[in-house]
Formats: sequence, structure tokens, C-alpha cells
Amino acid sequence: MSGGPAVRISIESASEKQVQEVGLDGAETYLQPLSMSQNLARLAQRIDFSQGSGSEDEGSVAREQDWAEEDEEEEEASVKFQPSLWPWDSVRNNLRSALTEMCVLYDVLTIVKDKRYMTLDPVSQEPLPPKQNPKILQLVSKKKSLAGAADILLKGAERLSKSVAENQENKRQRDFNSELLRLRQHWKLRKVGDKILGDLSYRSAGSLFPHHGMFEVIKNTDIDLDKKIPEDYCPLDVQIPSDLEGSAYIKVSIQKQAPDIGDLGTINLFKPLPKSKPGAPHWQIKLEAAQNVLLCKEIFSQLSREAVQIKSQIPHIVVKNQIISQPFPGLQLSISFCHSSNDKKYQKPSEKQSAENHLYVLEHNLHQLIREFHKQTLSSSMMPHPASAPFGPKRMRLAGPQAFDKNEINSLQQSEGLLEKIIKQAKHIFLRRRTARTIDSLASRIEDPQIQAHWSNINDVYESSVKVLITSQGYEQICKSIQLQLNIGVEQIRVVHRDGRVITLSHQEQELQDFLLSQMSQHQVHAVQQLAKVMGWHVLSFSNHMGLGPVESIGNASAITVASPSGDYSISVRNGPESGSKVMVQFPRSQCKDLPKSDVFQDNKWNQLRGPFKEVQWNKMEGRNFVYKMELLMAALTPCS
Amino acid sequence: MEAPPVTVMPVTGGTINMMEYLLQGSVLDQSLESLLHRLRGLCDNMEPEAFVDHEMMFLLKGQQASPFVLKARRSIDKAGIPWHLRYLGQPEMGDKNRHALVRNCVDIATSDNLTEFLLEMGFRMDHEFVAKGHIFRKGIMKVVVCKIFRILIPGNTDNIEPLSLSYLVELSMVAPAGQDTVSDEMRSFAEQLKPLVHLEKIDPKRLT
Amino acid sequence: MGVTCVSQIPVAEGKSVQQTVEMLTRKLELLGAEKQGTFCVDCETYHTATTTMGNPAQPGKLMYVMHSSEYPLSCFALFENGPCLITDTNFDVLMMKLKGFFQNAKANKIESRGTRYQFCDFLVKIGTVTMGPSARGISVEVEYCPCVVANDCWNLMMEFMQSFMGSHTPGIPSVFGSKHDSVYSPADTMIQYMELLNKIRKQQQVSSTGMR
Repeated sequence: MSGGPAVRISIESASEKQVQEVGLDGAETYLQPLSMSQNLARLAQRIDFSQGSGSEDEGSVAREQDWAEEDEEEEEASVKFQPSLWPWDSVRNNLRSALTEMCVLYDVLTIVKDKRYMTLDPVSQEPLPPKQNPKILQLVSKKKSLAGAADILLKGAERLSKSVAENQENKRQRDFNSELLRLRQHWKLRKVGDKILGDLSYRSAGSLFPHHGMFEVIKNTDIDLDKKIPEDYCPLDVQIPSDLEGSAYIKVSIQKQAPDIGDLGTINLFKPLPKSKPGAPHWQIKLEAAQNVLLCKEIFSQLSREAVQIKSQIPHIVVKNQIISQPFPGLQLSISFCHSSNDKKYQKPSEKQSAENHLYVLEHNLHQLIREFHKQTLSSSMMPHPASAPFGPKRMRLAGPQAFDKNEINSLQQSEGLLEKIIKQAKHIFLRRRTARTIDSLASRIEDPQIQAHWSNINDVYESSVKVLITSQGYEQICKSIQLQLNIGVEQIRVVHRDGRVITLSHQEQELQDFLLSQMSQHQVHAVQQLAKVMGWHVLSFSNHMGLGPVESIGNASAITVASPSGDYSISVRNGPESGSKVMVQFPRSQCKDLPKSDVFQDNKWNQLRGPFKEVQWNKMEGRNFVYKMELLMAALTPCS
Repeated sequence: MEAPPVTVMPVTGGTINMMEYLLQGSVLDQSLESLLHRLRGLCDNMEPEAFVDHEMMFLLKGQQASPFVLKARRSIDKAGIPWHLRYLGQPEMGDKNRHALVRNCVDIATSDNLTEFLLEMGFRMDHEFVAKGHIFRKGIMKVVVCKIFRILIPGNTDNIEPLSLSYLVELSMVAPAGQDTVSDEMRSFAEQLKPLVHLEKIDPKRLT
Repeated sequence: MGVTCVSQIPVAEGKSVQQTVEMLTRKLELLGAEKQGTFCVDCETYHTATTTMGNPAQPGKLMYVMHSSEYPLSCFALFENGPCLITDTNFDVLMMKLKGFFQNAKANKIESRGTRYQFCDFLVKIGTVTMGPSARGISVEVEYCPCVVANDCWNLMMEFMQSFMGSHTPGIPSVFGSKHDSVYSPADTMIQYMELLNKIRKQQQVSSTGMR
């Protein structure tokens, strides 16, 4: 067995049990071992007394003899079957059977060796269960099942914790999504790549400002879970462009005199901002602030562009963040763009009075104007009709087919710029303020007559009106002669008299003042006229503009002469804005003792004629004002009847 | 007669060589609302404008095989608006890189005696229809969603019936020649309208 | 926009076109009219290509396309005794597209150029009509701005024209007749110009053929 393949041959003792059949899988089915009597019967059957071997083996004689012996013995055994007939009987039997076995083995081996009739194949055998200690086995199996249970528990715990975490994550995600939804309701968003970008520019509202106005939406979910979530925590945050951070406003002010050139463009005024709460502000506030900065930027850039383009007599100056224009001589309108980024230190408001100068109305109007401008750009690109027609303003489309001439085309294109408008508004505001001041100062300086101003509450940005009444205290009802309506425009003031006369005054302060003074002086004379009517006196002459007497530097003197009801007396009043009032009384001749007797007036009737005038020392008259004094005078001259 | 010297034309002009870029599609009546809704979101911040237009197609036959076609269009619902006379050149499909149909176009605003004048010029009316719908705008792109109505009695725009159960959707823009890149913008816009409507370049030659 | 009358003034005897124009403008300036830049009206002629099948009944119909500096964004297309279409300037582009159907008679291009005067409510434009290189005549356009009904102001206009045109004051333009009391429009001015320029062109052609 050296060269051949290692075929394992298992030799085993003859099995006690006989094989009944061998299954296809090689499994052997055994017969139940025979009982003693059955065995005996079988053995008896197997005895071949006639010895029919006679075969192949060149078996030795001895063997033949053996066989013969064997036969004999078997014969005996079977015949007698008397156990222990012979003391070596069992030995002999065993030997015999051993011999038989050996012979068979020999035969089998021979046949196998020949490989002519038979080969040996290993028979599959059921492996024997490993022989282990049942105790160890139990231990191991218990350990195993415990480990399995622990595993399941661990997995469950893990899943639970994961789902809790997921829940939280989901919740935050949901919060983010709901915030995003809210953001989407107010702002334009779009997705670019894996970013969410928003648009805070006013472009969709018609702005043409080239700033992109983009902001980025940031998911703010990776906060530390261990730490307490701050109250104002918001899972959504926005990243606005750095140049739009902070706060900004446009400052508009009117100053009397030009500041040093060195100061120009350095205006950096800030009201200290209300202390912002710690932590990041809400996105809505952030975005609104950024949008405001953007709008202010747009306003300022539009204004500076116009300031450079528009040709005016006194050129507008644009320096850094300031535009300076001169609406009226000696007056300066400054529009500054103030922008503070949060990280910068606030500069202390250095000039306090200029901060007070801030014209909030104009700042507001600037915002309004830029929005109007936006709207205009939107509406100018109206939808075409018919639908196939190209885009463009409707009026421009009409220009061709309706054969517009040059003027009409010009009117299409002309539009006033922001700066022109705001300068006009500033002029108006300034004029209005100065008018108010002029009237007030006159009213406080001059007590008699009184001057009242009634400002209308509703104004246009370019026009407002005030009603000026000149009255005398205590005589308001009878002396209503002077009622002036002042329409204050941009460059001038139009004065409308009660009788419809219109006078146009320039923006110069002095003009208005002189005009009012002359009106006040006229008022006194008018008041005398009214009083005369009430007192029953007769107006003999009346003139608003006297051509006689000393020349007034402002306006003209006015004069009136009234006669007492009886005609005995007459009073003549001359009132000039500058020279003041002069009151003369004329007495009947009869009362004038000192009058030289004239030869001409012989008849007594001539005594009824009035004599010469005598001036009244007006300042010595009793009475609190001119009209009162006049009333007393008239009363004194009217004889009691 | 001697050849006249070239005098500078005083006021002649007009915008030469404008191109119309066009994508077309259609939606069924029932999905109109959702399309309008989408367009309202995508287009510029203006409310869509409704329109009712009357369009007439005029042909002038010469010796050439193809007649000269002019479209005359007027607004029915808006008064005091000029008529629109339009010439459209031969459509060019272009290659794959161009995402829209391109054709030469001349837009003219005219007085309201256009029909009479075209007949005097020798044109004859080929067909007419009424279009009702909405216009949207996105930048220089125009989106027209409209329904075409057949005119039952020639010339009477009150007596009309719808031609189909769907709406025509046209995305167009007019740009100077040689700016084919603008069609990219149209393509991306059309992409955003999917699947509500598929806007494609449709060669009118294929339809005939 | 008011009512306009377009007429022709013959060249004074023994004077050139230029001299006659100068004479007229001097008269206007003496009246107190203010010079206000220049003006130009041009007219191009198109014939329908002979091959056109469209309208065989009228083969020789001419179409005129006109521009006026007074209406810089407009283009006027007219037929003789036919309608006048007013369009924007893109119509010129269309005419180029229509080359195969309508041919531009380049040689027939005629225009009137000159000075624009304002005299109170009147606008007066005195132009030299040129066709090709040479001056062919003088056009006088008088517009009365405040009125839009032709018949209401014709007498006033005539009176004004007499003050500087004297015996050459034109009769009532034919377009006024058809207008009755309706509103005068710029198209009517262009029709008058078209008629005037046609007349001058025909005179010129007659005289040139007569000379041969």
C-alpha cells in the first residue's frame, strides 16, 4: 500500500447485528440479533455436511483436512448439540469461526487487490456526536442564549436612542422647513446647487440698482445638544452680503452757511442704536435692515449720479458720502448717506446741532420718491396690446402711428430726477419755515395791529398755504379788511388778497416782511373806515396809496378822512408803514377862537365851515390800541344829543 | 434721367434685423389654472394681463412660389391702441445648440386703417381668428397663454367659437440677430414649466 | 398739431430758386417770425413689381412712403387718392423685405428741405424741393397750431398767407374739402405734400421731355 492512493480501509469487528440492507446512501439497516433458539436453528441450517467447497484454491491438503475435520465437528455439533460434550468444544468453535473469518478476509482482500470485480469505496458514516461533557455543553449553551438576548436588548436600545435622536433632528429639520416656508412667504428664494439663495433687492419692484442683493439661507441646526437651547434660537439663519450689514439712513439737512471744505464728506453721524439683544437677531429683522441699507445705497447712488449729470448754475458737489447743493444763495442743502456696520465703533455724534437739523420729512420723501421711481419703471414696461406687440411703453408705441411731433415726444422722455425733486421739496420746506418765522417775528414785535396766521394742515410737497389775518384787538368783528392767503411754492410766494388781487413775492425774506408791514399799516386805515361806519361817521376820502407827504421807504402811506355825523368835525388819518400814524382833527370854524376873522366870511353861515386841522398827540391818547383810541376820539367829537 | 446722388435719408430708420425666438406648446383647458399659477410665480412681479386680440393673416402672391405673409393684429378689449403689423421670416430650426425656433421679424405699429391699406397694396386676407388669454413677462421673455377662437361670420369678432379644448402656450423673445445665447435662458425657463407644459421648437413646415 | 396748408410758390422771374427762397424768408423775418431750425420732408416712390399678380386691374399703381422731420418717429405710406397709413419707422424695414414685390424707384426720390419759422400761432416752413441734385421748386407749409378743424380757420390762414405770399396765396387745399368739420390730422399734411411733390415731379418730367 505504498504507491496507491491513500484509501482508508476501516476494519471492524464483525458486527453482532446483521445487515439487512444497505441503503443507496450506504446506510445499513441491521437485523435484530437472533435469539438463542433462532441462532441455533440458523446455525443448524448452515451446516453443509456434504462439503461442497472443492474450488479454486490450490489449498493445501492440510486445509482439506481441516475442512474435513471441521465438517465432522459441525456434524457432531449439529447432531448432538449437546453443549459441553467436549471440553474444548467452545474453543474449537471459536477457532473455526475465526478461521472462517480469516478465509473470508483473505478472499475479500484478494478480490479487492485484483480490482477486477470490486473496488472499495469509503462508506459515508454518520459522524459520532462529539463526546462532551454535558455540563460544559449546558454552560456554553446558556451563555450563548444569554448573549443573544443581550444582543437583542442592545440593538433595541440602540434603535430607541437613534429614533429619539432622529426625532429631535427631525423636529429641528421640521422647524427649519417651517421657517423656510415662512421665509419663502416673504422673500424670493431659489436653490442654486446645494445652497438656498434669496433675493432682497428691490429689483422685482422695479429697481434698476445693479447690486445683486443676494443672501444665503443657512441651516443653523448643529448646535450643541447638551447646552440649553437659547430662547431665541432659530434653526434658520441668513447670511447677508457684508456691504449690506449694519444700519443706514439718509440724512438731509439745510444749513445756513457753507462749512469748511475740509469737513465735507466726513459726516458720520449716528444716533446710538438701541442696544440690540444679545444673540443673533431674527432673520426677518436682519433682512429688513439689509434691505433698508440697500435702498439707502440706491437712493444715494441715484442722487449722486444726478448731481453729476444735472447742470445747474451752482454745481452740486458730491464728496464721498455727501451731496451738497445750494437751493438758495447762502443756503446749503446737504444729503448724506450714513452707514454703520455693526462691528465698527460708533462715532460719537460730533455735531449736535446738525443732528437736530435732520429733515425727517425729506428723508421720508426720498424713500417715497425712489419707490415712485421703481413703480414708474415697472409700469412703463406695460404689457403690450395686442399680445404680439413688443414690450415698451404704450405712449412710445403710439408715437409712430399717431404721428407725435417733437414736443409730444419730448414730453414722453422728460422726467424729473430724484435730486431735482428733493431740491425743490427742500426749497419749499425752507421757504415755508422762513415764512412762518417772518410772520411770527412780526407778530411778536408788533402788537398793534395783531397778526394771525392759520396754517393749513394738508399740504402738497411743493405747495402749502397760510391764511394771514390782520386784526385789532377787541375789534376783530368789525375790522376784517385784511385777509391774505399766502401760497408758498418752491421759489416764490403768491399772495392772494381778499378781493382777488394776486401779488407774487420772491423767496427773499425782506419782501414778505415789507409787504406785511405795509398791509398792517393799511389795516389801521381800513379799521378807521370800518369804525366810522359803526360810529355813524362819514367817510370823506380814502386812499390806500397816498401820493402826498413824505415818501415811505416801504410801500405807501394810506390815508382816510372821516366826518362826524353832524359834519362839524372831521378826522384825517395818515398811516405809513415806516412813518407811523398821524391823526389830525378838524374843528368847526366856530370853535376856533384863534382864527383870524376873515373879511371874506361875513355871513354867519360860514362859521359852519370847518377850520384848520390840528394834530392829535396820538401817543398821549388813552386806549390800548389804535382803533380803541380812534373810537374814543370819535366818541369825544360826537356831541351828546 | 441722371442717377441721383445718395442723399442722407433724414428720418428713415427702424430696427433692422431683429429675430424672434420662439418655443411653443399647449395645455388642456383643465390644467390651465395650474399653469397660470406656476407662471405667476416664475414671471416678473406683475399681474398677468388678460387680452382679447383679433388677428388677420394677409397674403401677397407674386411670381415666387411662396407668398409674402403679413399678420395684422389688433386689440379688441383695449381702445386707442395701435394695430400691430408683423412680418415673420422663414423659421430656422437651427442645430441642437439653439434651443428655440428663430425667425426674422419686423414689428410695426400702425394706424387703424391697416386692413384697407394692405388690400390696396394687393394683399388678400387668408384667414382670421380671435385669441383670448394672458400675457406674462420675465425679463425680455414674453409668455402668452391663449385660446384660439374661430370666427364664424367673417369680420364679426363677437360671433366666435373655440377651435379646440386646449390653450396655446408661446414663449418668445425678440432680440437682435446673432444673439443665440438668449435661447439658453428660454430653455431653462421652459424647463421650469415642465411637466405642466412641454415647450418645444415646432417647425411650422412640418405641420403643413 | 394744428391745421396745415401746403402750397407751391413759383420761382420769381429772373431769379434762382435760392434767391426766391431768400426773398420769402426775408419777408417772414420782417414780419417778426422766429427761425426755429430746419425741417425735411421726403418721399420715396415704389411701384408694384410688374410681375405681381395681385392686382392686375391696376398694374401701374404707385405707393409713396414719406417721412417728415416734424414727426420723427412716424412713417407715412400712401396711395394716390387712397388711404394713408401712419406707422412707426419699422415700416421702412418692411419695405426692404418686400423688395420682391415693390420696387423702390430710387431716381424718383424727392424731398423738400428748408427752414422752420414760428410766427405767434403760425408755423411756416419754406423748403426747397429737390429731386436728385437739382432744385425743382419751392414749397410753403403754413400751420395754424391752435385749431384742429380745417374749415374753422381757413380764412384766417389765407389772410396770413396773403401777408407774405401775396398773389401766390393758394386756394383751399382739396383735403380740406373732404374733411368737413372733422379733426385735421398729420396724414392730411402728408397727402398735401405728396400731391405737391408729385406735381413738381411731373412738371419736371414734362419739361425735360419737352426739352428733348
